[in-house]
Amino acid sequence: MLKNKTNALLILILATLLFGACKKLLPTDKDAFNADAGFTQTIYQPVLGRTTVMSNNFNSQGSSLPLTFKIVGIRNSDGISAPELLKSFPISVWKKAYDGSEKTLAEIEAKRVVEEHPFFEIRQHSGELIMWSEATSNIVKSFPDSGYVFDVEVSNSGGRKYYNGLKLQPYKERAYEPNNINPLTGTSTGGNIFPTRIDNIVGEASSSFLNFGDVNISFHRKGDGNSLSFKFLDTLSNPIDPAKFKLTNWAKLIHGFNMKMTTTEVTYDVAYPIPCVFIPTPYTTADGRRASVNFLYDRMGFGGVRQVARLGFDFTIFQKGSWDIIIWFKTDNPKFTDD
Amino acid sequence: MLAVLTAINAHAQTPKNITIKGVVVERANGLGIPSLVIMISGTQKSAGYTDSDGKFSVTVPEDAELVFRYMGFKTQSIKVKGKTDLKVQLVEDNATSLKQVQVIGYTPKTKEVTTGAAVTISGKDIQDVPEANLISLLQGKVAGLNIQNNTGSPGARGSIFVRGLSSIDVQGSGNNAFLTPTSPLFVIDGVPIDANTDYEYGFSGGGPGISPLSLIPAEDVEEITVLRDAQATSLYGSQGAYGVILITTKRGKSKTPIIQYTSNVFINTPPNLKEVLGGNGERTLRIWQINTFGKDIYSARQTIDNAPFLADSLNAFYNNSTNWQDLFYRTTFNQTHNISASGGDDNFNYKVNMGYYDENGIIKNTGFKRYSLNMNTRYRPNAKISFNANISTNLGNRQNGSGNGVLQTGIASAASASSLLPGPSLFNGNAALGALITENDNKTGNLKAVVEGKYEFIKSLTATSTFSYDYNTGTVETFTPAILGNNVAKVYSYNDKRSTLYNRNMLNFSKTIKKHSINAFVFNEMYIRNFQAHAINNEQTTNDQYQGPVGSTGATSKSGILDNYFDLRSVAFASQVAYDFDKKYVVELSYRLDGLSTSGPNAPWSKNPSVGLRWNFNKENFLTLSKWLDYGSLRASWGKNIVPTGSVFDAFGTYDYTGFYNGNQAVGVDFGTLPNISLVPTTTTQYNAGFDIGVLNGRLSLSFDTYYKMVDNQLRSKALPNMTGFANIKTNEVSLVNYGYELSATVRPLSKTSKVEWTLSFNGAINKDVLTSLPDGARQQLIEGGATGQAILYRLGRNSLTNILYNTKGVYSTTDAVAVDPATGMRYKTFNGTTTPVYFQGGDPYYADINGDYILDQRDLVPAGNSFPQITGGITSFIRYKEFSLNVNMSYTYKRDILNNALSSMFQNFANPLTATNLVPIEQFNYWRSAGDNATYPNPYDYLRFGNYSPTSNAGTQFLPFRYNQTLFQEDGSYLKINTITFSYTFNRNALKKIGVSSMRMYVTANNVYTFTSYSGPDPENVSDLGRDMSAGYPSRRSYSLGLNVQF
Repeated sequence: MLKNKTNALLILILATLLFGACKKLLPTDKDAFNADAGFTQTIYQPVLGRTTVMSNNFNSQGSSLPLTFKIVGIRNSDGISAPELLKSFPISVWKKAYDGSEKTLAEIEAKRVVEEHPFFEIRQHSGELIMWSEATSNIVKSFPDSGYVFDVEVSNSGGRKYYNGLKLQPYKERAYEPNNINPLTGTSTGGNIFPTRIDNIVGEASSSFLNFGDVNISFHRKGDGNSLSFKFLDTLSNPIDPAKFKLTNWAKLIHGFNMKMTTTEVTYDVAYPIPCVFIPTPYTTADGRRASVNFLYDRMGFGGVRQVARLGFDFTIFQKGSWDIIIWFKTDNPKFTDD
Repeated sequence: MLAVLTAINAHAQTPKNITIKGVVVERANGLGIPSLVIMISGTQKSAGYTDSDGKFSVTVPEDAELVFRYMGFKTQSIKVKGKTDLKVQLVEDNATSLKQVQVIGYTPKTKEVTTGAAVTISGKDIQDVPEANLISLLQGKVAGLNIQNNTGSPGARGSIFVRGLSSIDVQGSGNNAFLTPTSPLFVIDGVPIDANTDYEYGFSGGGPGISPLSLIPAEDVEEITVLRDAQATSLYGSQGAYGVILITTKRGKSKTPIIQYTSNVFINTPPNLKEVLGGNGERTLRIWQINTFGKDIYSARQTIDNAPFLADSLNAFYNNSTNWQDLFYRTTFNQTHNISASGGDDNFNYKVNMGYYDENGIIKNTGFKRYSLNMNTRYRPNAKISFNANISTNLGNRQNGSGNGVLQTGIASAASASSLLPGPSLFNGNAALGALITENDNKTGNLKAVVEGKYEFIKSLTATSTFSYDYNTGTVETFTPAILGNNVAKVYSYNDKRSTLYNRNMLNFSKTIKKHSINAFVFNEMYIRNFQAHAINNEQTTNDQYQGPVGSTGATSKSGILDNYFDLRSVAFASQVAYDFDKKYVVELSYRLDGLSTSGPNAPWSKNPSVGLRWNFNKENFLTLSKWLDYGSLRASWGKNIVPTGSVFDAFGTYDYTGFYNGNQAVGVDFGTLPNISLVPTTTTQYNAGFDIGVLNGRLSLSFDTYYKMVDNQLRSKALPNMTGFANIKTNEVSLVNYGYELSATVRPLSKTSKVEWTLSFNGAINKDVLTSLPDGARQQLIEGGATGQAILYRLGRNSLTNILYNTKGVYSTTDAVAVDPATGMRYKTFNGTTTPVYFQGGDPYYADINGDYILDQRDLVPAGNSFPQITGGITSFIRYKEFSLNVNMSYTYKRDILNNALSSMFQNFANPLTATNLVPIEQFNYWRSAGDNATYPNPYDYLRFGNYSPTSNAGTQFLPFRYNQTLFQEDGSYLKINTITFSYTFNRNALKKIGVSSMRMYVTANNVYTFTSYSGPDPENVSDLGRDMSAGYPSRRSYSLGLNVQF
């Protein structure tokens, strides 16, 4: 009798063990990791002084998403470690969406906060690389230096792979666009910057329409600050009263505040970079990638025709500061008086 | 079990004989039991028989004890003691009793000595509910048998799974994605019928779409046995891998002939239809939407002016409030009649059963009719030889309207038309009109003949030979009038034939020496299965009255033999040895060798062994005297089974005429599929352990099974690199495992002496499936989602069918709540098929940004949910008081994820106010209305920002707040359904005698009574096997029936 009971117990234990063992044979639920997955771009060349997100750079080849990315072993091209890219620095990041409707400078600044980040980062699950705008050429090596080499560890629960020898070769700052700066050296090559649009501006002396080549635009950073001024110069570099561009919508010229107009310049308090975010706003081009300004006036032209004259310029400024944009009518002055 | 008592009183004189009259009836329904042999206890003498009404008159000694024994009932002994008028009520032996005889593996055995997991359902349990397909009535009755009646189409069948999923193969995509059916093998009176046939083509509308199971009248069924584990199914090897269901039809068993008539009259009602906005309400809403969310007031006005159905409200064509659903759904009256005549005894018996079933679908122009005539007979001139013959002929006739076996796409699109449009006419609503006036006639005819001869050479050695021929023919005739298709009339005519020739020759040896019993048999088995289908499609016939065959345009008309032709052969040799010691220890060993014509030439034979053990511990000495234990046993089994998959072309290749080579006609291999000479059938290997116990004299019985089932060698097509020259190859590399637990319990809470008899049964099964192997050792594979984007992920270690969805975490209450990319300052965004981004704002859905790039795209899809039910089961309650009885059946499904495509498409209808689809009132849903709302559903009205929902656009790259593939519409599909409630009354026998009726019973039944669920759609059961609730399904009807059962 006792023996039978023991038998029963034994069978029960055996059955339990059998099923336990079977479950162990089942595969565990792990991600798939395709070893053919890889970076589609191995050399990254961001321009310093502006935040650059380098995306669409990884092909997962059917691996289970999300993958986890991690930069390891960032070093100089000669193999010495690069502490400037490992250390965190205060970086200004967006917390709330800028949409162009902000009423004060403080309102824009409230949407940004300062966080500690390394200058060069990888997004943990997308593999996108970010070069923050605070990275400047006085800290970070840039062209013509051959830059940095780094490795990326890519993993998910199904596997892990190191991608070695990716290159980071930053260009020196180009604080504004358009410019004539040689990307490799970061120095200006001279030459002119022309306006984007010029219509119906009649030359004082020539009485013919001015063309792109008749106007030269230059950017000038006066120092630190948060302002942007527009200055107009005649052929003799004497200032032209901005008020003469009487049809200009000064209030909505750029997304700036506290406009101060004198006879020599018009100044705004602005948030940098300009434009703050690459989205279309009333102050930008249609694609939102550049600020767009238009200076307008009208006059009675030859034969009593009203002519609306326009000078338009699309630009970006990345570096924070107190900037002047100087518009120099190089060959002939615009004619503001009626014919 | 027979209590042996002394019948002879030694002190008495020779007792004198008395004549006793009486009646033997079933306690359950008061029907007389005919041809019951009345024995005198303690002797081998029979005292007499009961007649067709169960009445008897016997002359026995006055102190005798009469024994009433009848198959399927508990034996009852009554001492005469001078009584001369007896009324004997026999109680049915319940299903868990061990004396019940089950025919498993073609030989009858008592349940006590079977080692496999098997459950038997009496035919009586399913005969009070009129239903075209009797298998749907098994729902919730057997643990581990998961039946989802997911189509209400009369004559079609729902899905049947025995112990979980058996295939991961999905056909089609989007709303038309279906899991390849893997229903169990049905064996009707010993002849295997493949229920997947004629049904696999139902989706494409090729065949008539009538399930072979719909051709069996439920009234003719004696019992149904469900075999679940490998040992029970081992001898049905070559097709039994998905489980086996045995259906036994009735036989004559009364010396005097019996005529039984059963009739049901029933009303089918459609379920609650969805509410729609009608007429002016709809127009006002659309205009409000355009004015509120249009670009500006000028463009909004222009938009409205350009849409005549909004602007031109007084135009008779647009000034309507049409209730489209009302045009299609209806309440119908239906009837079934069944009459059977039977009689005979064990040496000679016969049965004729005639059935008529007529059901009109709740959708107009659909319905199902069945005519059946079944006969069987047995001749046994002496104890050594017997001969059985069985002929059944069935004809099913079905109208599908404009849909096919499963879907009613035409009606779904028509019923979702705008109420502003006028009803179906020559000018409008072709889909609707099509559903109503398409002439469609589908027939399936079935002829089945079985003969079986048995000869006992010497005692304990028997030879049996069975031969059957099963012939099916299906025809489809569809005529589409010219006004439905751009003035092109169409005639479609389809016919197919399917035949199965089956033969089995068996040698059986059984012997009992003292306590040792041995039963051994060997048999060979073969079948030849053919199928061929032809179709003719004639277009542009001369007029609507002239429906072919000539006069159509040759250019667009087609005809020929369809490519689903097959010719399958199978041969098998099998043997089994069963040994038991005193019915206490049982061992069963079986081995089967199967050869299939679809296997590759490298692997023609598959070997299927199985082992079963059973220990009836109640027979151990220490328990035999216990009063509380009726029976108790432990079972364990292991075994292998196969099921043929693929075709001969997959294994051997297709050879075609390929033009001329060197002036000679050349035949070459078709480069579409590379022949796989190692192709093998799908194999299941199963471990099973079971425990049965019955205590307290039948008050409580319990059965528990646990299993581990591997489904290996599943067929799957694999793409080949183009340098091989071939496009695909079919391989056997997919495997999955199901494991789970099954429990059934039956309780009789009231004592046996109580006037009220109450039986309460409960069963439940937990099943988990895990994918264990994919082609080429891959860890995962993604099956594209097609038009709805609902992709399926196969991934090792997970449940086999995982949905791939966007994870909806809520709705942005304000624009400020949207995440901002810290680097670029841009809001979380997506794209509408172009490079212009769409930034998320208040009222938009918040989809989890899985990879953190602040862009919603296909990289943010997550695996979520399990579309396969994990816990299923049922509850049955039976109460009888005197002549009244009440039977309630319930079934439940727990833990199942449904993709509510119907709800998402309902919201999608708001995405374009200019499309004339119907608008459903959505006020009851918590959708986003204004900034700050904490909503469940996004803002449905902001139409200008939405992408294009149309299936032709690449929906994957669009901003679609009500997209199908998101977790917002993945809902819990658990439900508890009251399947049937039957109330019946049995008439008093004495009153009936005057009108020459021996028994009569009347009953009312409500079917598909109510479903308790938290699911927001109409019916959590009426969804596809992949858990997709599309609006194009055929809704399940509710029916109320009045039934009458008369026996003469």
